[in-house]
Amino acid sequence: MTAGFGPHLTPDEFDAWLAAGLDSDRARHLEICLECQARADAERALDEQLAALQLLSPAPDFADRVMRHVAVPRPVTIPSMQPARRRFLATRRSVAFAASIAVLLVASMATSVIWTLGHQATLVAIGGWLLTQTAQAGWLAIQGVASNLIEQPWYGAFRSAFDSPGRIAAASALAAAAYLAGIYVLRRLLALPTQQVAHAGA
Amino acid sequence: MTDAPEWARLTDQEVVLLARSGREAAYRELIRRYERPVFALLFRMVRDRELAEDLSQETFIKALNAIESYRPEFKFSSWIFKIGNNAAIDHLRRRELDTLSLDGSPHAETPEAMQATALQIGARQESPLDTVEAKELGSEIEAAIGRLRPEYRSCILLRHVEGRAYEEIAEILDLPLGTVKTYIHRARNELRVALAHLKE
Repeated sequence: MTAGFGPHLTPDEFDAWLAAGLDSDRARHLEICLECQARADAERALDEQLAALQLLSPAPDFADRVMRHVAVPRPVTIPSMQPARRRFLATRRSVAFAASIAVLLVASMATSVIWTLGHQATLVAIGGWLLTQTAQAGWLAIQGVASNLIEQPWYGAFRSAFDSPGRIAAASALAAAAYLAGIYVLRRLLALPTQQVAHAGA
Repeated sequence: MTDAPEWARLTDQEVVLLARSGREAAYRELIRRYERPVFALLFRMVRDRELAEDLSQETFIKALNAIESYRPEFKFSSWIFKIGNNAAIDHLRRRELDTLSLDGSPHAETPEAMQATALQIGARQESPLDTVEAKELGSEIEAAIGRLRPEYRSCILLRHVEGRAYEEIAEILDLPLGTVKTYIHRARNELRVALAHLKE
């Protein structure tokens, strides 16, 4: 200790001094403390010797030797359309064929758009008729299923289960219990295993 | 993509991305960037040029073949130095070429423990390491570095030769920051003692 000027510099402070980052109070200590000055000189001399160490390089063929043992992945390439295009447009006949297909496609699309714009009322009428027919067919199907159910021999017993409020409540509770049990079983089936599988990563 | 990028402008992470996409030039760029520092570190660790070349080669082959597993949130330099340093430490342990420390075990927590594990200079015998010293490492400072414990040697070389930050050294060596600072401090003490006669 140097009385009145704080303790001697720590290794971190010598490090800071070498990097010109020592705070002014500690720098004042260094100015007057011979022991710290001697240590600082030694630290600087060591730093200079370390900085002057020779640059070392491997043999010039180092990269080639390394690359002989490195598996470079094959570059990802998008197959080019160039060869197919070249083949397709090789002769005048194939060019004419391609052009006629293109014209046909564009013409049919244009015709479709024009017809649609000119016959909007017809399209609305066809849409309405289709909707009505679909609704009627659906209603008939529901009626058929219902009358079929009513004619079943077990229907009377089933209906009597809902004769009184007590029976309705019991049936509802039973249904709710079955529903909850189903949910529980499903959750157990879908849950991830919590235990590690031995050698899973091997 | 046939035009060559301006490699100097690209970060290590960008070069790694190009390497992953299958560009051999990117692999060569990574080698070009790190062959000297990795080789220099390993040469000073094992003090044998041929062996250092082999270990450096092994380091790059291991790193470049596992380039897919490199995580870009970390520095590429830390990753490759870590692989290289591990290769050197493994080799030194295998060969039992550990040098002796004046300060005792690097794991010693108390001054008593340090003294108990320390060895006297006079007790040190010529190790096979001295006999395989290459001419390039013939200076006093190189010899003093060569006598440091491998753990101290890695720290001092990464800090003062490669100019790595303490935090990066801790990451490379898988050590706590405080331990890295202690190792560097002890290594500097040993070097100062070893080189004291030069000032006289």
